[in-house]
Amino acid sequence: MGGANDYYALLGVPRNATPDQLRRAYREAALLLHPDRNTDPNDTELFLEIGKAYETLIDPESRAEYDESLIDFEVEQAAKAGFICHVHQSRDSLLQLGEPQVHYLLLDILPSPDLPSTRSPINLCIVIDRSTSMQGQRLDQVRLAALNILEGLDHGDTVSIVAFNDRAELVVSPEQARDMSVARARFSLLQAGGGTEIGQGLELGLIQLQQTFIREGVNHLVLLTDGRTYGDEDLCLQLANRAAKLGITINAIGIGSDWSDRLVDELTTRTGGHVMFLDSPRSVADFLRRIFEDLARVYAGRMQLDGSLAQQVDLRSAFRLLPEPMPLADTLPIVMGNLGREGKIRLLLELVVHPIGQIEELDLAHFSISGDVLGLGAERQTLPVHVRSQVTKEPDLKPPAKEIVSALSYISLYRMQEKARHEAELGQTVQAARRLENLAAQLMASGERELAKAALNEAARVTRTRRLSNEGEKILKYGTRSLLLPAKTEDR
Amino acid sequence: MIECPSCKHQDFVGTLFCSECGSKLTHSAMVPEGVMKAQVNKIETSRPGSDGPRLESGAFLGLRVVDSGKVISLLGRDNFTLGRSGKSQAVIPDVDLLAYQAFDHGVSRIHAEIQMRSDGIFLIDLDSANNTLVNGHLLDPQIAYPIHHGDILELGGLRLELISRYRF
Repeated sequence: MGGANDYYALLGVPRNATPDQLRRAYREAALLLHPDRNTDPNDTELFLEIGKAYETLIDPESRAEYDESLIDFEVEQAAKAGFICHVHQSRDSLLQLGEPQVHYLLLDILPSPDLPSTRSPINLCIVIDRSTSMQGQRLDQVRLAALNILEGLDHGDTVSIVAFNDRAELVVSPEQARDMSVARARFSLLQAGGGTEIGQGLELGLIQLQQTFIREGVNHLVLLTDGRTYGDEDLCLQLANRAAKLGITINAIGIGSDWSDRLVDELTTRTGGHVMFLDSPRSVADFLRRIFEDLARVYAGRMQLDGSLAQQVDLRSAFRLLPEPMPLADTLPIVMGNLGREGKIRLLLELVVHPIGQIEELDLAHFSISGDVLGLGAERQTLPVHVRSQVTKEPDLKPPAKEIVSALSYISLYRMQEKARHEAELGQTVQAARRLENLAAQLMASGERELAKAALNEAARVTRTRRLSNEGEKILKYGTRSLLLPAKTEDR
Repeated sequence: MIECPSCKHQDFVGTLFCSECGSKLTHSAMVPEGVMKAQVNKIETSRPGSDGPRLESGAFLGLRVVDSGKVISLLGRDNFTLGRSGKSQAVIPDVDLLAYQAFDHGVSRIHAEIQMRSDGIFLIDLDSANNTLVNGHLLDPQIAYPIHHGDILELGGLRLELISRYRF
């Protein structure tokens, strides 16, 4: 049994699911995955697996037997898993309440101290936008930044450079990357011109990475872009899904104010990567260097949070706070990206607990955290995490954990700018402006004068022109997101 | 619900920062307000005869068949059609009452519908042959009628008691 063989998670039902729920879940899965319907042969395998899970759980006798083996198995699994996980809850106890309540979980995932880990080889492809808008300083800086990376390669590392406008080409192959003079010569041929089709660049980048794929290493793609892609959004997202399946993470660096931040956010999130925003190209070398250094410190890749929530519980949102702040998908499984050797992955999950009656304890969730610990062979490591909470009649008066409060204070700012942007797009100018003013007030109170000023500017702008500026949108989005970086949250 | 002290926006209990204006709610979240307290008390004092039946079944929204005491749980949707299935019948109701002698009680195949809306739970008679009653009151067909925890719904001769943990 592996993480995928938690039959309850497989069927997407809580551990105390009734036979009716099992039947319904099975029927829904069967409708989607039946060989008469599906197109992907992998789905047939999944369908058979789900059939087995259903057969086992629907019969009370075999279910009891399975439940017992599952507990033993999880204990054993936890003991040898390559990670540890600490869970903090926003309250020590939930309330017996006839209305929904919100509950927050802070998950800290760290490498297990018992497992030694060394630097793993890196397989990297840098995908560079060379559309007309990149001309001049932008492309010059990017060129320097990429060369800088090539100079710092380790023996086992593989790096290739792809450039794209409305089609893509391999600028520096992995062999050429080993010889600096050749790489430099190849780079000098790189000229700006043409449109932007991110999908083209991603596709060739992924093909490159697959050719030099390192099973026991870090496989990664960095996208550098400054423009909006034209008409290939769907392709981009499909490619992101393919990358996620292969275990390739994608990070993006967006330069200037005219790139499609939503698309880039979405496609990096799907792979567990993140996005950096640069208003000027000057710091691109620093950012690229930072990404590369993080890759050299990866302990485990393809980290994933799966499992099932209790029937009374819904996941309303998920946010990664560390290593890089990023809003995540709000459905399990959640792709978390890489876990660093010294660092940790910190997630904040927002749960809605529906009315609960006279019970004393609630099993909120059975999570399983899985990932590939590098250098440990092909076996995927899985850590089961069981989260439960007391349920009481009287509210818990203890203040919530400091980390949760400080993270939420910044997440709420991030959500405000999102809402304001959404309202502006719907034409609700008055609400958007008011919200931006509120945001400015909160930012001012946190000592973020620059961001507060930007929010006020945008509030005035919305009233005048009925929309936010491209630049302001990005400054507020990535500005409020970066407030979650440890340097900021720790001194609160 | 708890109320933000600065903008009066209402959020779920347990929320730490107002989703409207970003103000810190820790204080109000810890010390529940009147709205919430009233609700807690209501659950505690639910006893049969006073405020409807006991909530011991564990269902959030359900129907207790009065004759047999069995509880039918209503889960996962916003509306449920009630009726009974029959042989060679194309439309099957969401809640099939066939197992509760629906035929003998004169329940129509598609008899009535329960709707969960933001302003409450409603029952609509879908032009049934033998009518729908709530606490003895005859419903006009196709008109939504608000129902509450403890109400007795009669579908033909079949008596069902509504169980609802939702606060309406």
